Amino acid sequence: MTEELTATEKPSDNPVLYVARPMATAARQFAKSLLRPSTIVYPYERLEDPKFREQVQVASGKPIGVGAVWDNYRGVHALNIATCISCNLCAFSCPDLCIEMVTVPGGDPKHAKKCPEIDYGKCSYCGFCSDACPEGCLTMTTRYELSTPKRSEMVYSPQKLYEVYRTKLPMNPIRLERPANEDSILLDPPLCIGCNACARDCPTQCITMLEIPKPTAKPGEKLPKRIWKEPVVNDSDCVRCGTCVSVCPKECLFWGSRR
Amino acid sequence: MSNVTLYSISYDLSHAVVFAVGSLAYGSWRAAIDSNAVVTTIAVLVFAVILLAASMLNTIVLIWYERKLLGRFMDRRGAMHVGYAGLLQNFADGLKLFRKHTFAPREADDLGFYFGPTAYMVSSMLIFGILPISSGWNSGALPLSLLLALVIFSFAPLFIFVSAWSSNNKYSLMGGMRSAAQMIAYEVPLLLAVVAVVLVAGSFDLSTIVYEQQNYWFWGPLVVALVVFVAAMLAEMERIPFDLPEAEAELVEGWNTEYGGMLFAFFMLADYLRALVGSILVVLLFLGGWTLPTWVPSAATSFPLAGIFWFMVKTYIVFGLFVWVRASLPRVRTDQLLRVGWNRMIPLALLSVFLAALLVSARCLPVFGCVPSLGG
Ligand code: SF4
Ligand code: SF4
Ligand code: SF4
Repeated sequence: MTEELTATEKPSDNPVLYVARPMATAARQFAKSLLRPSTIVYPYERLEDPKFREQVQVASGKPIGVGAVWDNYRGVHALNIATCISCNLCAFSCPDLCIEMVTVPGGDPKHAKKCPEIDYGKCSYCGFCSDACPEGCLTMTTRYELSTPKRSEMVYSPQKLYEVYRTKLPMNPIRLERPANEDSILLDPPLCIGCNACARDCPTQCITMLEIPKPTAKPGEKLPKRIWKEPVVNDSDCVRCGTCVSVCPKECLFWGSRR
Repeated sequence: MSNVTLYSISYDLSHAVVFAVGSLAYGSWRAAIDSNAVVTTIAVLVFAVILLAASMLNTIVLIWYERKLLGRFMDRRGAMHVGYAGLLQNFADGLKLFRKHTFAPREADDLGFYFGPTAYMVSSMLIFGILPISSGWNSGALPLSLLLALVIFSFAPLFIFVSAWSSNNKYSLMGGMRSAAQMIAYEVPLLLAVVAVVLVAGSFDLSTIVYEQQNYWFWGPLVVALVVFVAAMLAEMERIPFDLPEAEAELVEGWNTEYGGMLFAFFMLADYLRALVGSILVVLLFLGGWTLPTWVPSAATSFPLAGIFWFMVKTYIVFGLFVWVRASLPRVRTDQLLRVGWNRMIPLALLSVFLAALLVSARCLPVFGCVPSLGG
């Protein structure tokens, strides 16, 4: 169809042609639209339906919605609550600050389980959260219908995101190509007081508090008041969420390269 | 041919009602109620109400029809959601407009502001009292009905101008001025095209004009007049490509910029009423009104209200043509419009009058046949 409707078609100077030619074009378009409309009746017919994806074509041989665009679609998130480790990385990476970590049932009394709650009024569908999620439990689906009469319904609780997960829509786990984070959690030993905050809050429980020998005090010297333990990070289990760094009261944990 | 007409239906209805009411009354009251004058009066009122309801209904269906057709011309589907294929969408829109508050600008002249749309609406509806829709349609038995219809039809720019001026808005005023300028440019060829028809038919009565088309419809021999008439009608109805007074790309919404709510609905309805009247006039003057060619099997013309049915079919086809034109042609400029009106249409219209005069003096045409009143 596109070849027939080129914009370069100049209006004729002949008054009869001036009227007749556009009318012929319109009639052709009318007939085409009757036989093979370019639009689908959206809420009733959907592009997800393969029937329409093949039928509705933008240009000859190029169906809408098939290929890269559809497969890379970033819609509503799906959250698998069961595998979420409450690492906070999603909330941390969100550029729009639309993720809030809310408590969900299932955590232990000391260490509450927190999962992301997403405010779609703010979300820009960048996918950073999904990219950051170390467990792959936060993915983006092809769901795009979000309209609602209430603004409060734009906020999806973890349970609601889990409902999306359970619909088994095509998921788009976003994994950007980039070098892996080589940095590790390092400790500045003299500052540590052995408070256990990092080990308590580490979502992967990869911090172990190891006993260290209590030094014998020299005469006149006062030993610092502390627990004689120090965190040791199991580097292969660490998801590099930074929770330990942020909870440390003495700011003695930091990012750094072992090399 | 069946004798059921709209008037006979309303007469029977009124007769039944009057009889029922009369049977409840006694003595001299009963005689007074059952008299023929009462029945006829009520019959006329019922007829008027049916006419009013039918014209409003048709107008709304016409809007739907235009939306659907235009949608397909633009490779869309038009209204789809409310009712079957969006049939009830316009009723929903109408209800919405009905509920809306009507605002008048502070500086507006209230008298003109409210008088304009009302008069526009009323004058458009008035024409329906004149147009004959089928045979036995005695509501329009006026010897000069065509002239009267055209006179009322061309009142509209005046009311548009009144409402545009009293809106106290420069865009409205420009729209109103354009409407007036357009009227002068198009009234002349329109009437000249009508003169061609009147010459051949020998009457200003619309029923007679239809009757005169029993041998052939006038569009064949008077094709030049038809072209002029349709083009001038488009300008009269202010539809694209001649919708300069509205020109929403230039003038916000033209002369109805300041109108909202029900007053806007008045304009909208009246616009489509006028489009309906325009299509009906084309059917009456050139397409044989409610008649069908003689080769059509009589079964197609003998069911009750067949005349009205075929009349409406033709009207909708003609309106479809208007929509087709709207979908194809861009809006013209004012100077182009005036030039086309004065330089092209008037000579063409004069030519059509000349051709009509030739036809009258020839009396019969080889292919088409004869005009009855000219001794065919
Ligand atoms: S997609 Fe982007 S904006 Fe939306 S929640 Fe995830 S990180 Fe935030
Ligand atoms: S990044 Fe993944 S694992 Fe971590 S809190 Fe968010 S959803 Fe849970
Ligand atoms: S960054 Fe700290 S809290 Fe996070 S997984 Fe590694 S050790 Fe645990």
